[in-house]
Amino acid sequence: MKQKRLYHNTSLCDGCGLCQLVCALEHCGQWNHYQSRIKIVNDMEREAFYAVCCTQCEEAPCILTCLMNTIYKQPGSDITVRDLYHCIGCRACELACPFDAAVFDVIQEKVVNCDLCGGRPLCVEYCPNHALTYDYPGDQADKKRNQAALQRFGTSLLEVFKFSGKEA
Amino acid sequence: MFGYAGKMLEVYLSTQKIKTRKLEPDLARDYIGGIGFNARILYDEIPAGADPLGPDNVLVFSVGCLVGTPFPTASRMEVSAKSPASNGFGSSNSGAFLGLRLKCAGYDGMIIKGQAQKPVYLLIEEDTIEIKEASFIWGKDAWESIDLLRARHYGAEIILIGQAGENLVRFASIENGYYDGFGRTGMGAVMGSKKLKAVVVRGSKPIVPADPQGVLELSAKGQKLIKSASSYQAFCAYGTMNATIPYGGFNALSVHNYSRGTLPDWKQKAGRQIVDIYGSRHIACQSCIIACGHLAEINEGKYAGTLVKDMEITPTVSYSSNVGLSTEASIKSSELCQRYGIDMSSSGSVIAFAMELYQKGIINKDDVGYELAFGDDDAAFALLRDISLRQGIGDILAEGVKRAADHWPGADDYAIHVKGVEVPMIDPRGRWSTWTLGMLTNIRGGDHLRCRNPVENLRYNENLYHYQKERFGFKKPMYDRLDMPENLKSAAIDLESDTVDIAIMSKWAEDLINLYNSVGICIRPPVMETIGPTLLAEIYTCMTGIPMSPDELMMGSERAWNLMKLFNIRHGEVAGDSKFPRRFYRELQSGNIVDEDKVQAVLEQYWQARGWDPGTGHPLPETEKRLGI
Repeated sequence: MKQKRLYHNTSLCDGCGLCQLVCALEHCGQWNHYQSRIKIVNDMEREAFYAVCCTQCEEAPCILTCLMNTIYKQPGSDITVRDLYHCIGCRACELACPFDAAVFDVIQEKVVNCDLCGGRPLCVEYCPNHALTYDYPGDQADKKRNQAALQRFGTSLLEVFKFSGKEA
Repeated sequence: MFGYAGKMLEVYLSTQKIKTRKLEPDLARDYIGGIGFNARILYDEIPAGADPLGPDNVLVFSVGCLVGTPFPTASRMEVSAKSPASNGFGSSNSGAFLGLRLKCAGYDGMIIKGQAQKPVYLLIEEDTIEIKEASFIWGKDAWESIDLLRARHYGAEIILIGQAGENLVRFASIENGYYDGFGRTGMGAVMGSKKLKAVVVRGSKPIVPADPQGVLELSAKGQKLIKSASSYQAFCAYGTMNATIPYGGFNALSVHNYSRGTLPDWKQKAGRQIVDIYGSRHIACQSCIIACGHLAEINEGKYAGTLVKDMEITPTVSYSSNVGLSTEASIKSSELCQRYGIDMSSSGSVIAFAMELYQKGIINKDDVGYELAFGDDDAAFALLRDISLRQGIGDILAEGVKRAADHWPGADDYAIHVKGVEVPMIDPRGRWSTWTLGMLTNIRGGDHLRCRNPVENLRYNENLYHYQKERFGFKKPMYDRLDMPENLKSAAIDLESDTVDIAIMSKWAEDLINLYNSVGICIRPPVMETIGPTLLAEIYTCMTGIPMSPDELMMGSERAWNLMKLFNIRHGEVAGDSKFPRRFYRELQSGNIVDEDKVQAVLEQYWQARGWDPGTGHPLPETEKRLGI
């Protein structure tokens, strides 16, 4: 069964870092920018802000790397979860993650990742510009296609298809 | 201690000693944070008559106490020292990410004393503090220096001075990263006199609120309130550029060194539509939901390739109208000012002052080396370089208009300053409001950012009842939601005659802005309109665990304001200093002059409202006693 995931729209993001603050406050009761499960990267060369966060990969390198088998997919979903009790804090998964999305929690001295707040991500709620969205992967792609059509043709994708159908 | 980092860093540059000072709970409760701490520390530690550019001056950076929470716009920090421009309390505020980073390094502020022998920079990495040698960046501009420092210290937040600060230009600024800065009152010159090129901050310690859930809830409430403000949408889209056209319409711009009130092509040149033309994306400071900053980009023409965070009203008015440059040149001027590390408002005023002297024949080509004319961008930028590097005539102009005017007989009439600080933006001859009175009452001299009516109405421009009142012009719901004590609200705003009492509102506005600067939030209109002491007191209590009522919070802010006034009096300010430049009283601009006696009457009312002596403007003993100074 497909789960909802976190999506970040760079063109809407202002880089205010509110998502980092609420994430750290929610998970640790304190603000510490190394503690946040989501990271906003300020790339001034490309004039953009990127959000780095666990993408919940299907064949996750972190799962393959873990010696203690403490990282696994939640039964009945495709969310990556961790058994922190048996984690030895070797930080191998942090190195293995191709997105740099595994975060070393300095309080527990274990590596953690985004747990999507149990289905109600706080960062999405607090994002002032709605740059972060929580959505099904397929729906998100549709929305992006529609948005591209709106920008390119000034109309929704459905209309574009209708129009091109008439032409053909 | 919850909410605060709990200690301050004390650096003695002369002896290269570093100490930490524990944050006293009394200081935290009575002065809240930010500018409040600065006021207390400066008042206690700078001796009377100290040279602003000497070793006795103390440079203090303090972070606002709400920085680190998701409360909207909580990102600001304040730097203060004795100002080389006004010889009084110098203070400047900036946002971006530095305040949070310093707090995460474990410090509520840093106190910098003494003078280093040779150029140094300060590296703060949590508990490892080092004073390092900085000859490799001394003499380089701010952007180059940031690149060189970032290569050594990956991912650090950096504040630094450019060449202007090194050369002790009296209106040099401290740059905060590439695009932000502590602009006014010459704090960069103080840092330059200490031979401190940069402060590099890294840290990842936690900030622990007393009640994290409460902080989250109140932040969400604050977000909701700000989003409901009438000016919120416009501010998100255009930032402060919203106000350029109204001020042009009121004839209240500083055009060509205040010789005119507006420009015929002002709307095309600096209306808010230029944000759509040049702006590419919004940039927010930490925790900000407004994101009024725009990245401005020029793709073609003479200044192709310029990329700055600009499109703010202050630099636009300073360079587009005061110096008279084109839109693209005024965007370029932001880059140059940020590279040299010089205050955009004051440098624009000084260049306009020199151009008018040239026009009037007081200085000539032999003095300058090239021709000066309003609107000539090459000349303006050459002069900006000369001022920053103190070459030729720039050496005199780098002293600011007040001191430079002494060099040439007759130049005094064209020097536009209050207490030595150049007046930016608005001309009181075109519009009289709480904002313009604020230029006289401001603790840091001729500046517009410390007194602004929270519900200023830019649709009307009426000079009611001889400078006493301004038009309110909003409906009752706006009055009802304004967070102000009821008795004060009914005294300040009269709904029947639809007016705002300027003297009473000035006091409230100054205290409110001072409170914002203490807790570390921004003074953008959507915030001022909606966030008041009630919500701030609640979140302060949640953050620090110290019980605090709205009245106590406002009293803390008033206490800091009075202390800054006492600082100024100790360092030689007299009642007669609170007056506009002569030009505003004598020279007609769109048929108006400022009436000296009537302004004096309002000023005396304001002093009375503050509990100060109406004759001298000194805080009365009973006021000091009430505030417990």
